[in-house]
Amino acid sequence: MNIVLLTIALVLAITSLSAKKSINSLISFALMMLVLGVYYITLDEKLLGLFQIFVYTGGIAVLMLFGITLIGTEFPATKQSSWSAVLAFFIFILMSAIFLLNSSTLEHIVNETVEKKELFAHSFSDVVILFALIGVSLLYGTIKMIHILKPQRRDHV
Amino acid sequence: MFEVDMLFAFALFSIGLFGISSNRDFLRIFFSLEMLINAVILMLASSAHYLGLAQNIAFAYMVMILATLEAAVGILIFAAAHKFSKVVIADELSEETL
Repeated sequence: MNIVLLTIALVLAITSLSAKKSINSLISFALMMLVLGVYYITLDEKLLGLFQIFVYTGGIAVLMLFGITLIGTEFPATKQSSWSAVLAFFIFILMSAIFLLNSSTLEHIVNETVEKKELFAHSFSDVVILFALIGVSLLYGTIKMIHILKPQRRDHV
Repeated sequence: MFEVDMLFAFALFSIGLFGISSNRDFLRIFFSLEMLINAVILMLASSAHYLGLAQNIAFAYMVMILATLEAAVGILIFAAAHKFSKVVIADELSEETL
């Protein structure tokens, strides 16, 4: 189940970068974030999953939609550098090799843990502040974007 | 399963890195940046779940807030650049075009 969800997320990530139309790209991006949110919920991190769905699939996708209203439904034609795929693949291999070679040392960390309930019992107000910060930043971005787009709409009328 | 999760997170990070280094338009760069940040959040969440490192969840929330702020500010810079100079490609943005 977990592998299926993560594979879907990777396919959607590739689709969002390779789609020709910007709206298709945005839909793939929002679906990828939704799948990752569902994955966090299956990992029993329900609050993080809900954060992911509300913030990314909701807030940031709407901000990106404002961006699409500026550039139109087609991405501008740009040159793509050929070495970037090789670089990304090399970094993936490097990170995987370093992680797999050192994964045995991670087993020692497991004993030195903090109880999750204990962590959040003392810092419930911090979680509320996090919600407030995210909400304020998204609201600020949306209001400013409407303000920036306003004169353009007047020009068209 | 932790190893599989981390490999998927590395793959997502590499896709984001590929997107940033190969594309020049603002929106695709934003998508790629969010992928990079989400790969880090995935690493933190899976390490919290499988290794019992509960404090990593707090780090994940922090990273998510930074990503939100970055997206809000970044998209505003893009909108302002487009308003003043009609630029949608990052390489074309300079002091002369603004």
